[in-house]
Amino acid sequence: MLTRRSQAPLSLVPGPGRRDVSDGGLARGLIAGEVWAIAETWHRFAPLVITTAERSLGSKPEAEDLAQEVFYRVFRKAKTLREPDSLRSFVFSFAVRVIKTELRKRRARAWLSFQQPETLVGLGCATLDMESRDLLRRFYALLDRLKARDRLAFTLRHVESMTVEETAAAMDISASTAKRSIVHAETRLSRWIEADPGLAGFLDAKGWDR
Amino acid sequence: MTATSGESKDSQALAALTELARNSMEPPSTAELDQGLDALLSRIGAGKARRRGFLRWSIVAATAACGLVALQIASRAPKPPFPSKPPALVYQIEGGSVLEGGYLRESGHAGIKLSFNEGTQFLLMPGSRGRLRAVDKEGARIAIEQGTASFRVTPSSDRRWLVEVGPFLVTVRGTVFTVFWDASSERFELRLRQGRVVVSGPVSGGDIALRGGQRLVVSLPKAETLITEEKPEESAGEPVGAPASRAAPTPTERPPSAARPSAVTDRATARNAAATPAASTLAKIDDDHRWSDKLASGHWDRILEEVERAGVRVTLEKAPSEDLFALADAARYGRRASLARAALLAERRRFPGSPRSLDAAFLLGRVEESTERGRHRAVEWYDEYLAHAPTGAYVAEALGRKMILTDELEGAASARPVAEEYLRRFPRGSYAGSARALRRVP
Repeated sequence: MLTRRSQAPLSLVPGPGRRDVSDGGLARGLIAGEVWAIAETWHRFAPLVITTAERSLGSKPEAEDLAQEVFYRVFRKAKTLREPDSLRSFVFSFAVRVIKTELRKRRARAWLSFQQPETLVGLGCATLDMESRDLLRRFYALLDRLKARDRLAFTLRHVESMTVEETAAAMDISASTAKRSIVHAETRLSRWIEADPGLAGFLDAKGWDR
Repeated sequence: MTATSGESKDSQALAALTELARNSMEPPSTAELDQGLDALLSRIGAGKARRRGFLRWSIVAATAACGLVALQIASRAPKPPFPSKPPALVYQIEGGSVLEGGYLRESGHAGIKLSFNEGTQFLLMPGSRGRLRAVDKEGARIAIEQGTASFRVTPSSDRRWLVEVGPFLVTVRGTVFTVFWDASSERFELRLRQGRVVVSGPVSGGDIALRGGQRLVVSLPKAETLITEEKPEESAGEPVGAPASRAAPTPTERPPSAARPSAVTDRATARNAAATPAASTLAKIDDDHRWSDKLASGHWDRILEEVERAGVRVTLEKAPSEDLFALADAARYGRRASLARAALLAERRRFPGSPRSLDAAFLLGRVEESTERGRHRAVEWYDEYLAHAPTGAYVAEALGRKMILTDELEGAASARPVAEEYLRRFPRGSYAGSARALRRVP
């Protein structure tokens, strides 16, 4: 049998770049169970989740483990996302929930165990000077003494620079409750800093006024 | 957090600390993200398989239950026991403890041994650092941050073991192997005695599958990946936990004299080599003191009081490595440079092969800097640290301090090459501003 072949050259036409997909498109891919959407969601939002978790917990390895848990939940619950355009908020709300659970577990473990938790064992800050590391270690030791809700509200407001309203929305609490938690955390932290002679030495060494 | 004029000084301190926390965390690298995605996809895959299995078994179990109920009604016979679920993994730890975040803390000098209830054994060699990331019914995830670890994993189709070794991920089903990772030289080694493993990580050509009797060596700086076959007698008969390689000594196995600029300390090493206290004594001291915990709680003054009571000399000779480090920190915070120096020198003398020994070199530089005429010695210690820990945690700081001191001692012309190197390696580092200023000086 004779087969007639076209002489027109064939070329591969690439589809739209995955990186250019909007959050809404990404969410729809995720709901449909597309593998590329899983990878893109991770690459787009994992830095945000890991950094927030690291700042909240003070440990990079724990933040990485937590991110695994967050995205595992996100992918399992993707079909419950009602507004695809709000994928970022969806991911962040999972992150905040998991961080809060982790902080609560930590406090429970601290109560149940005679062993003090080791703070900042895996901080990923290679360019930080030694005094700053010491300061951070002590700062996170103080944060460990706060209640999970107060600590998270303080971290979101001051470390993540969110507004009170954004903090309240992320934590799924009212704005007045968020404000109360933030003020409570600030008051207690200021009092502990004042009463900590070691911290005074660190701050003096850094040349910071107290 | 911004402090206004009406706020107290402590609020300003809080604002400063908050800003430090905000600015100190670095975003994850592309390699870290890729590794995280791989782990996540594995977990999602495992979860789907488990759900499918659960559904299948639910149907089977429901059918069986209906049959059994019918049989029971018919014969009034007792109901057979419901098939039991695979038991959860539990482990027993010897030679150390698991701290918050899964950090494995060694209490003696014999390493840490974890024995799981289904027969798997894991041994972290003395001086090595690792973490128990997760333990659940599906298996466990263990991270080796520095040093050597051995595994004897009981074969099972239900469980999966993941071992993170530096930037590498070893996926295990049932096997006997030893891994080694040295962060300073970025060298990875795996010796597989039995079974199969898959190694993922920064190597060209994708994942590497190894079978029993093979040895994989990866040097990241040289971009070298080497797989060799080992004769059975080379690995047979060695207990789990034998050193990774006799042929290729690692930086942590170097003779202690090479890691010290002063001949005085060499003599001290020789004198004290035989004076290592018994492991039981060390364990007792470790249990009693927990100085790192005290230090984390801000009670460094109590550490110094305890040392005064116990005697400085005895403490320096008998305290475990971790306590010596905590003591050095406490002494630095208490402005007691001579005690800090003595603790750090004791650390290097008594634990010459440990990663902390290298950190001690850097800290000795900081201690010398704080003394009246110690700046030359400080530069020597920084050089020592930079030479032996080229990718260590304090490299940026050591290079920055060396640059500042060289400028003070010998002038800008001598400091400029150090500044150039600093900017090349740490363009966003905390000494980058000073380095750029030095570069501009004519």
